Amino acid sequence: MLSQELVKEALRRALSTGADYAEVFAEHTRSKNINIISAKVDKIGDSVISGVGIRIFKGTRCVSGSVSSLAPEAILNCADRVADAMDGSAQILDIVLRERLFGDIHPVKIVPASVENAGKIDYLREACIAARDYSDEIAQVSGSWLEVDHKIMIATSEGLLAQDRQIRTRISVTSIASKDGENQTGSTSPGARKGMELFDDHDPRELGRKASAQAVTMLHAGYINAGVMPVAIENGFGGVIFHEACGHSLEASCVALGQSQFAGKLGTTIANPKVTAIDDGTIPNGWGSINIDDEGTPAQRKVLIEKGVLKTYMIDKLNGRRMGMESTGSSRRQSYQYDPTSRMTNTYIAAGEDRDEDIISSIEYGLYAKQMGGGSVNPVTGQFNFAVNEGYIIRNGRICEPVRGASLIGKGSEVIQNIDMVGMNVERAQGMCGASSGSIPTDVGQPLIRVSSITVGGR
Amino acid sequence: MTYQEFKEAVIGHAKEQGLADYELYYTESESTTVEIYKEEVKGYSTEGSMGICFRCILNDKAGYASTENLTEEEAQSLVLRAVENAGCIESEEKTFLHKAGDSYGVLPENKEEAPAGTELVEAALKLQKEMYQADPRVSDGTQSYVAYGKEKYALCNSNGLDLEDNVAYAQAQGFALVSQDGEMYDGSKDMRGSLKNFDLKDIAEKAVEDAVSTIGAGGVDSGKYTVVFGSRALATLLAAYSNIFSAEAVQKGMSLLKDKEGEKIASDIVTLVDDPMYKDSCVKRTFDGEGVAAYAKNVVEKGVLTTLLHNLKTAAKAGVRSTGNASKASYAATVGISPFTFYLQPVEGTKEDFFAETGEGIYITEVTGLHAGANPITGDFSLSSSGFMIEGGKKGRPVKSFTVSGNFFELLKKIEKVGADLEFLRGKWGAPSVLVRDMAIAGK
Repeated sequence: MLSQELVKEALRRALSTGADYAEVFAEHTRSKNINIISAKVDKIGDSVISGVGIRIFKGTRCVSGSVSSLAPEAILNCADRVADAMDGSAQILDIVLRERLFGDIHPVKIVPASVENAGKIDYLREACIAARDYSDEIAQVSGSWLEVDHKIMIATSEGLLAQDRQIRTRISVTSIASKDGENQTGSTSPGARKGMELFDDHDPRELGRKASAQAVTMLHAGYINAGVMPVAIENGFGGVIFHEACGHSLEASCVALGQSQFAGKLGTTIANPKVTAIDDGTIPNGWGSINIDDEGTPAQRKVLIEKGVLKTYMIDKLNGRRMGMESTGSSRRQSYQYDPTSRMTNTYIAAGEDRDEDIISSIEYGLYAKQMGGGSVNPVTGQFNFAVNEGYIIRNGRICEPVRGASLIGKGSEVIQNIDMVGMNVERAQGMCGASSGSIPTDVGQPLIRVSSITVGGR
Repeated sequence: MTYQEFKEAVIGHAKEQGLADYELYYTESESTTVEIYKEEVKGYSTEGSMGICFRCILNDKAGYASTENLTEEEAQSLVLRAVENAGCIESEEKTFLHKAGDSYGVLPENKEEAPAGTELVEAALKLQKEMYQADPRVSDGTQSYVAYGKEKYALCNSNGLDLEDNVAYAQAQGFALVSQDGEMYDGSKDMRGSLKNFDLKDIAEKAVEDAVSTIGAGGVDSGKYTVVFGSRALATLLAAYSNIFSAEAVQKGMSLLKDKEGEKIASDIVTLVDDPMYKDSCVKRTFDGEGVAAYAKNVVEKGVLTTLLHNLKTAAKAGVRSTGNASKASYAATVGISPFTFYLQPVEGTKEDFFAETGEGIYITEVTGLHAGANPITGDFSLSSSGFMIEGGKKGRPVKSFTVSGNFFELLKKIEKVGADLEFLRGKWGAPSVLVRDMAIAGK
C-alpha cells in the first residue's frame, strides 16, 4: 500500500519531538451495499475509503493525526503535525522495519468485488420473495447485502511491518407484518469473514421465512407484564447479554482509567461459577475474527472468566502501558480516522453442562427470550439494557404464548452472578459494536442460559 | 491530485461515458481534539478528512460511487462503478437532479479565528480542574474534552448548481466520575459553540452535579405513573423516532404516518419544527443533500401533521414539492431523508411547575439503549431509564434500573404539558420538559 521508505520517513518525522513510540496505520477499503425493497433494487452504495492514521506515545500520553490520502506529501505532513504537538528532541533515531507475515487463518474463496452485482441481487430477491410469500400479513420486506474489503498496513517504531486483508460479507432481511394499523418486525442478518461463499452457508428462502415468522408471531403477541422474574435466554444473539453486561467493562479502555466496575478484580470471583467466557479473535472466518489487530499484534484466544474467576482483560498497547500489562491483540478501529482502543472480537459464554429442557422446566413463571435485539451499557455503573425481539412466557416449565415489548435491564456485576444454568449448545451471531474507536464487527454467543432473576421491562 | 483537478477528471470521464446528468458531492473537515485525564493531556489528535461522492442518473435511476483516493485511475473507476450501479436499480420511482434557481439562505459570516491547539489544551485543563474542585468525591477517571472543527459541504451538478456551506464550532465536554462507598457514578455535560463563550466552571459543575445527584439511587415499584420527561430524555426519544416523518419511510410502508397528513397525530400543545438555520445551532445549512434550498417548517403544528419530510424523489411520487430534507449520512451515503435542527416548540412552565402539578410521579432525566429498545417501525419503546421520584410535588430521591415503556405514536397524543426550557441534544435534537400521564414503569 505504501513504500517502506515512505513509512520509515513518516515514523522518523513523527518521532522527531521525543516520542518513545510511533505507529503508522494505512488503510484502503472498498465496500458495497445493495438494498432491495418490495423485491426491487432500491439503492446501491459503493465506496472507497483510504487514508492514514499516525499515533505517537510518550509514556501514557498519545498524540494522533489522520489524513484522507495515501499521497506521500500528505502522509509526511500528517507526521509533522503529530510531532508538533510534543516538544522535545528525538529519542529514537534508527528504525529498522522488518516485515512479518502472519498466516491467514480466514481464507476467502471468492472476493466479492470480483463478482458482478447481478448474482448478489438474485440471492437477495429470492430471500425477500420467500419472506413476502410467508404470510398475507407481511406488508413489506427489505433486504441488504454488504461486502467490505478492508486492507490495512501497520508499521511501528519497534520495527514491525505487517499487513492484512479483511473481507467480510453480510446478508440482512427485515420483514414487517401489519394488521389494524399496527406493525411488528422480524429480522435475520448472518455474516462472516468470508467472500461470496457466504451464500453457500444459508438458503435465502430460509432466511426470508425466518424473518417473516418472527414478525407474524410478534404481530399476534400481547404485551408482557413487567416485573422481576427468571429468564431463559436462547443461544446465538442471546450472547449480547454478556457482551454488554460484562464484555465492555473488561476492555482496557475503561479498566485502565478506573472507569470499570471490574477494575482491580483480576483473580477474584466476579461471576457465577457456571460462567466461563472467552474472547477469541482466531475463530476461522468468524465475523469478528482478525489475523492481527489494528496495532499489528496477532489475534489471540483469551479466557476472560474461568468458572467465575476473572482471568484477563482485553488490552491494547496504550492502555497496556497504563496498566503495566501486555497487549492481548485487542486493539481495533473502524478506520484510520479513529484512534484504536481495546475492543471485543468474538466473545461468548462457553458451553456448560445443563440440558436445555432442564433449563426451561426449572422455571415456574418467567420469560423465554428466543431472539434478543441489541443493547447498551454504561461501563462505569454496569447498568445495561437489552431489547427482546421475540419472547415467550414460560409457565409451569413450559414455553407458552409469545409476548412483545419486553426489555431486560440490570447491573452487569449482578447479572453475571445470576447466570445459574448454562446449556451445552453454543451458537454465535453477528453484530456491529459501537464505541470510541468506531463501529466494528463482533460476534456474540452463548448456549441457552438461565438468569435466576432479572428486571423485565414492559407494560 | 487536488479536488479541483480530480473533479475535472471525473467530469471528463462522465462525458466520455455519454452521461448527461451527474453530480459531485464533496465534504471536507478538519478537527483538533484534546483529552484530559488526571489533570494531564492524555490525548491530542488532529484529523483531516475529505471524500467525494459521484452520482449519475441513467434512465431515471441513480448510481453512486464514492472515494477518498484522488488519483487519475480512481476518477475513471468512480464513473464506471456509478454507471454499473445505476444499471442495477429496479425501483420504479424516478430520480432526477435538482435545477438551479432556488433562492438560498445566507449563512452568518464566521469572523472568529480558529483557536490554537494551546488554547484548546488550556480550556480542557481548566475544565478538568474545575470538575475536581466542584466536589471532593470527584475521582480519577474523570475526563474532559475540548475540540474545534471545521466542515465544508459542497455540491455541483450538470444542471449548473454549484453550492457550498461552511461550518465551524468548538465543543467542550466534562465527564465526571464520583465515588462513594465503593460505588462509582458518572455524569456529563457538553456545550457547542464558540470557545470564548464557554463557561467552563458551569460545564464542570453541571457534569459533577449530574453524577453526584445519582448517588444512592434506588429502585422504583412497577406500575403506571405520571412522568415528567426532562429535556435530554425527550430529545433522545425524538431523535430515535425522527424517521417516522420521512416520506421515504412512509412510501415504503415503514412508518405508521401513511395518509396522516392533515390529521391530528399529537396533542394540541405539540408543534414540531425543523429549522436548518436555527439561531442557536452550530451547524446551519442552506441546501440539502440534493442541492435543494433548505428552509424552516412546522412538521407538526398544534398536533396536526402538516407535512412529511421530502426529497426530490419522494416529493415527485407524492405530487408535492421537496421540503429540502434530502440527507446524506456521510458524503459516501446514498440520498435519504432527515430533519436538520429538529425540536419540540417550547410552550410555558418549568419542570418544577410540572412536579407540583404531578404530585406523585417520576421525573425521567435519561433514557438509554434506543438503538435496541425503540422501534421506529412499530413505535414501541421499552427503555432503561434513570431520574428522580416526584414526591409531594417536589423532586425527590434518585432512582435507576427501571424501564419506561410505551408507543411513540401514543406518547405524542398523551403529552399534556410542554415547558419553556428548550435544550438540545448533540446540538440537533431539541425538547423542553414535558408532562405525560399514565406511563408504564417496570422496576422492582
